[in-house]
Amino acid sequence: MATNPSAVPNTMLARLPAPMRDAYEHYRLTGDASSVQEIVVASVLEYRPKASAAIPACGEATRLIEDLGYDSVAVAELVFFLEDIFDLTLSNEDIMGVRTIGDLRACVARKLAAKPRGA
Amino acid sequence: MSPRITGIGLITPIGNDRKSAQDNLRHGRHGLSHVEFLGNPALPVKVAGTVKGFSVDSPHWRDWTWPDECTIPKEVLRGLAPHGLYAICAVDQALRDAGLTAPDIAEDPSTGLYCASAGSAMMLHHHLAQMRAVVGVRGNPMGVVSSIAGTLNFNLAAHYRITGTVCGFVSACASSSHALGYAIDDLRLGRLRRAIVVGAEELNADSLLPFAHMRALSKQADPVLASRPFDAGRDGFVGAGGAAALILETPDAAEARGARTMAVAAGWGQAADGYSVAAPQPDGAGLFLAMERAAADAGAGPESFDHVSAHATSTPVGDSAEAAALTRLFGKRGLRPPVSATKAITGHGLSLAGALQAALCVLSIEGGFIPGNPHLRTIGPGCEDLDLPRASLPRAPRLVLSNSCGFGGSNVCHVIGAPEAVTG
Repeated sequence: MATNPSAVPNTMLARLPAPMRDAYEHYRLTGDASSVQEIVVASVLEYRPKASAAIPACGEATRLIEDLGYDSVAVAELVFFLEDIFDLTLSNEDIMGVRTIGDLRACVARKLAAKPRGA
Repeated sequence: MSPRITGIGLITPIGNDRKSAQDNLRHGRHGLSHVEFLGNPALPVKVAGTVKGFSVDSPHWRDWTWPDECTIPKEVLRGLAPHGLYAICAVDQALRDAGLTAPDIAEDPSTGLYCASAGSAMMLHHHLAQMRAVVGVRGNPMGVVSSIAGTLNFNLAAHYRITGTVCGFVSACASSSHALGYAIDDLRLGRLRRAIVVGAEELNADSLLPFAHMRALSKQADPVLASRPFDAGRDGFVGAGGAAALILETPDAAEARGARTMAVAAGWGQAADGYSVAAPQPDGAGLFLAMERAAADAGAGPESFDHVSAHATSTPVGDSAEAAALTRLFGKRGLRPPVSATKAITGHGLSLAGALQAALCVLSIEGGFIPGNPHLRTIGPGCEDLDLPRASLPRAPRLVLSNSCGFGGSNVCHVIGAPEAVTG
């Protein structure tokens, strides 16, 4: 396991949709990086600023700002949430490089892989 | 020119709509409930003016519940403190009451927003604790806008797309009276045609217990004994939460759309004590001057007032100072307008108090009654010259003086009149 998320305070998670919680639990127990993808997609949908708008088909190429209506504050909220549940730090440069869901997933996966084991 | 009050919205301990608040005000029914903070039954704070129909104890908006009639988009909830939720519900209600819709005020440069709250100590505490837990590395990006004094203006201006004016007021328990006063001025100066005034506070351990540590809160467990302004046995105030919103319009703007005028904002005045950071000047000189200035602004002499809505929070020193000021203004001239202290039934909503009091004045004018002082048993020393009816009087006030006093010696006084009693 690349990290030890069970040590991460994540009370916010308890309020999120069940499939996301299940994916997080799966990741926490197995370290299976495929779960990260599901968590990132669910988080992106959850933190859309205009939640009332129709959800477009989401894939790796779906763009946060252009397709999902994200603004800079919503991106900051999303990043804070992911940092918190995975105990990561994403720099401004990391965030500037994120345009799509695929970019974000890859960024989170890269950061997780770089974390010291058990950190 | 006196702005018209064309709508009010109330989320209060005595009701979450105009009619129930008016009924409870008329009949002297309090909205105080037993409370226990931080799971500690030994704390001396036993009762408070609780808001019913909402659950906002958590710092996480996903945990909150509120009445169905208020629709708040998720993207708005994220930036709110609990009292922001109250405020939006109250403003929505006030707009409906005034016959306005959200699109009517959106991006209208002649509509301004005047807010008052102390911010959210609970949210601030939560977000800072979260930041400190990770040694400052990260924090919730919405932490600032959902916490600090100003959270109401930030959120409501964005939500309602206010483009005329947006501002906030922080003068403790006089805050929303200041908001109302400066809204009136901007309307009278022709800067705006419509103003939304809202005061709001939440009620939780973080907002209220610090006042217990100042020895300012009642220790009584019986609501009737806990909040009894001007009574000889009063021992402190009872905290309250909620929100009150008023819609004000210039006479031209109100007339142009055929709006109903509930009451008229006839004038206001303010003066400072220059005395203490927290205690009022014992002789109420600052409040006396504020009342004189308000009366002069309204073009009314003391004999013109047939009702006073007192600030009276049920603290020993505060009520005495106000009684002294009222006696000087009225009693020394042989005048005895009925005085009501509505905090007996609402509790003291701090920043919310002035707007709530103004709204209750509107309800009494509209409802044709002068509220009573239902918890008063024995009139306290120094308050004997006041006319303090126990039960409501079945007559409509024509011109009301409504007082607010805040820490640091802020004294603000409003004159609210029946539509037929105020010309211009």
